[in-house]
Amino acid sequence: MRAFDFVSAESADQAVSLLSEHGPNVIVLAGGTDILVDLKHAKHDPDVVVDITRADDLKGIEVNDEGLRMGALVTHTEIMDDPYIQENFPALVHAAHTIGAVQTRNLGTLGGNLVTCVPSMDSGPALMALEAEVTVAGPDGTRRMDLEEFFVGPRKTVLEHNEVLLDVIIPKRNLGKPTDFLKFGLRKGQALALVNAASALWVGEGNTFKDVKISLGAVAPTVIRAPAAEDFLEGREITPENMAEAGRLAVEDAKPIDDFRASASYRRDLIAVLTKRTLDNAYRLAQND
Amino acid sequence: MTDDVKVADKTDSLTDLKETDEDLRLPSVVEPAHFPVETIDTEARHQTPAVGQRATRPDGRLHGLGQTKYIDDITFPNMLFAKMKRAGISSALIKSIDTSEAEAMPGVAAVLTGKEIPVNSYGPSYQDQPVLADERVFHAGDPVAAVAAVTEQIAEEACERIKVEYEPLEPVYDPVEAMKDEIKVHPPHSNIYATKRIKKGDLEKGFAEADHIFEGVYSTQMIEHVPLEPHASIAQWDPNGRVTLWSSLGRITLGRADIARTLDMPINKIRIVGTIVGGNFGGKNEITTEPALALLSRKTGRPVKMVYTREEEFIASTTRHPFIMEYKTGVTDDGMITARKVRLVLDGGAYCSWSETTLGKACILSAGPYNIENLLAEAYCMYTNKTMTGAMRGFGAPQVCFAYESQMDEIAHKLGIDPLELRMKNAFHEGSASPTGQVLQSVVVKDSLEKAAERFGWKEDGQ
Amino acid sequence: MTDVTLTINGEERSASVPPETSLLRLLRDEFYLTGSKLGCDVGDCGACTVIVDGMPVNACLMLAGQVDGRDVVTIEGLATLEDLHPIQKAFEEFASLQCGFCGPGVIISAKGLLDRNPDPTKEEIKDALSGNLCRCTGYTKMIEAVQDAARILRGEKEAA
Repeated sequence: MRAFDFVSAESADQAVSLLSEHGPNVIVLAGGTDILVDLKHAKHDPDVVVDITRADDLKGIEVNDEGLRMGALVTHTEIMDDPYIQENFPALVHAAHTIGAVQTRNLGTLGGNLVTCVPSMDSGPALMALEAEVTVAGPDGTRRMDLEEFFVGPRKTVLEHNEVLLDVIIPKRNLGKPTDFLKFGLRKGQALALVNAASALWVGEGNTFKDVKISLGAVAPTVIRAPAAEDFLEGREITPENMAEAGRLAVEDAKPIDDFRASASYRRDLIAVLTKRTLDNAYRLAQND
Repeated sequence: MTDDVKVADKTDSLTDLKETDEDLRLPSVVEPAHFPVETIDTEARHQTPAVGQRATRPDGRLHGLGQTKYIDDITFPNMLFAKMKRAGISSALIKSIDTSEAEAMPGVAAVLTGKEIPVNSYGPSYQDQPVLADERVFHAGDPVAAVAAVTEQIAEEACERIKVEYEPLEPVYDPVEAMKDEIKVHPPHSNIYATKRIKKGDLEKGFAEADHIFEGVYSTQMIEHVPLEPHASIAQWDPNGRVTLWSSLGRITLGRADIARTLDMPINKIRIVGTIVGGNFGGKNEITTEPALALLSRKTGRPVKMVYTREEEFIASTTRHPFIMEYKTGVTDDGMITARKVRLVLDGGAYCSWSETTLGKACILSAGPYNIENLLAEAYCMYTNKTMTGAMRGFGAPQVCFAYESQMDEIAHKLGIDPLELRMKNAFHEGSASPTGQVLQSVVVKDSLEKAAERFGWKEDGQ
Repeated sequence: MTDVTLTINGEERSASVPPETSLLRLLRDEFYLTGSKLGCDVGDCGACTVIVDGMPVNACLMLAGQVDGRDVVTIEGLATLEDLHPIQKAFEEFASLQCGFCGPGVIISAKGLLDRNPDPTKEEIKDALSGNLCRCTGYTKMIEAVQDAARILRGEKEAA
């Protein structure tokens, strides 16, 4: 690794002021599972690394008036171990479990996964299907936005150099909303998704789809929603045929590419299958409630 | 007083002394060990009482305690750390190497280039690999300079400051393309640097007897050994003009001879300490950085360590040969193989390494464990401007196995014969002759096939 | 330079290192605790696994400055002068390690698992070891050893 200075922030406010003070060639360090690799490969050459792992106000999982709040520093293991999430959002537990391996899940944070913003991230789809919002803290205070707005492109978010992600909030209206997440990787452990997908839905009157949200990863520059598939399903009867049709429509919502992990056409097949399966699984969850 | 001393007593005690002394001595001639004169011909798998006994590994405890010392766990006072500048271009002439900026860096103890190496070539069979490329680059992972510095970080930064001017040459990557010799990797030599041909019976007659001819081309990819422990060595040149090397090298005697050649010094001045190796799989069967580290140690008078990064393991150590395998097989209606023609093209990468061994073994085994009376197997190993290939578990056997077994499945499918049945019909039996005429004993191919089929339930699920 | 004071295997240790020093380099180069291995340096192989504040992590993915004031357990902290840790004993008895390079990391991961889950299923053991690559392919024997060690730690079986 190349030489840099290291400072540690005890709070989000301090992190913002340290970033402003040392910027713009600064980098935020949380779990480090991506950043340290990039630093070793000299993909970043910062003057200063600001460690935020001691900022307690970025930690914790709680249900408050707004909904379910997860601090940016919540690790994937903490999500898996949280009793409320286990009870209400098995999809989030599953998504966290598919990330890396035990060691990286113990280090890696939810916020880090979102901020790194690789298209194949596993934290994104389920949160996006649950219409999660994020809070960003900067020198001028905080701002709130939808997760979709937060993502800009591959490895790019709206964050400025002197801003940090504070937390992720699943709005109250979606607490307990039946959701499913599936990932297709080439191995069980330590694999990146070729495609991942999540669906969240309520069952409306007459066994119809209500408020269906579908999200896909690794098929576009960022994690995306599948509006064509969602619009098709809204208000329709819940049948295997309609789920399959939504899968076909989701393919059109995506822009998969050929790369060394998989071909675009293979990814298209996966999108259709995973969309259908997540819808089916979410529906089963709804029936069990 | 002297009268009291009895001569006889004195003699006795001397005898006693002598006897005691003899008793203490180990027998100077060890009793010859007796082996049974008659060979006891026990059944296969029951030949030794050791089979089935529980044993623990003598090194298991140290491994589990984390106390096993691999090369990177060894440190010497005043030790320097080396890094190598890699070419990053697969085929080029080196016009110039400017190391001045690197040498001027604080913390850099020495920089070494290929010109300073007495005999700048090595290799376990052909000496076609430069220790540090000085005139020509043969693949992108070639090192062009080595730096010894007080930290790895400084050595790495110094490598970035070494300026190399190249005249790019057109590379050749496809081994079949390389066969044309239009672009030569090691001019003036041909790219075809090793061949083997095995002929048995009458191929034309064999194909004439066949009811069906099957043709197929199969290929396999390049594979890196990925030992968990990367290649690592430490060199210490002492003031008596001897060099000691601690190395993860698996074949230290061979390596010693190779190092003596590159350093142009007597072999008795070179000592190699082979430590426990953290995974070899064939990838640590030859020297890599050792001569350069020895010379860096001589230049600095300090011990020098170098550990490959994981990237270097992939680009600068040997890999498994990619094969392109053409198979033509004649089969009768009832599934008996009458003739087989095999052509193997091995992508040897930039250097020979253990290609000859791989080529030989692949060629001998290319017909598979089947009785084939009429056979022609030809194998060619090619230079290309890629990471060199060498020894890896099985020396070419896994690649050809993939080809002939794939074709067996195709034959079975086409002829509507059970794949297991097809293999049982053709498989070696006691006394079968291999393609090279070796009469085989203790042949259990059919037994093991049957057992395996039974265990994984082939008969129930496979149809 | 970054000054760090941390607890390693129950003992307080201090060092002053360049800020870019990883926890792994700190352990190996400053404290000569070479049991944690450098295999890939990017968090894929698990050979550097250590326990920080009770959780197994890749020592190559943390900076020294991040572990200031924290509690680290390495492979050197498992055995006492009198006895091996039951996991180490089981690994020896089952001959679970071949070249041994992945061993310290695997054993630490196993400890991380058994500390939290004294009676893991085979699947849970596999999951706990999925971040530890073994190229000699000795996983079967490792899983058997972890199961055996778990039985001993639960008091269901006498230590050999």
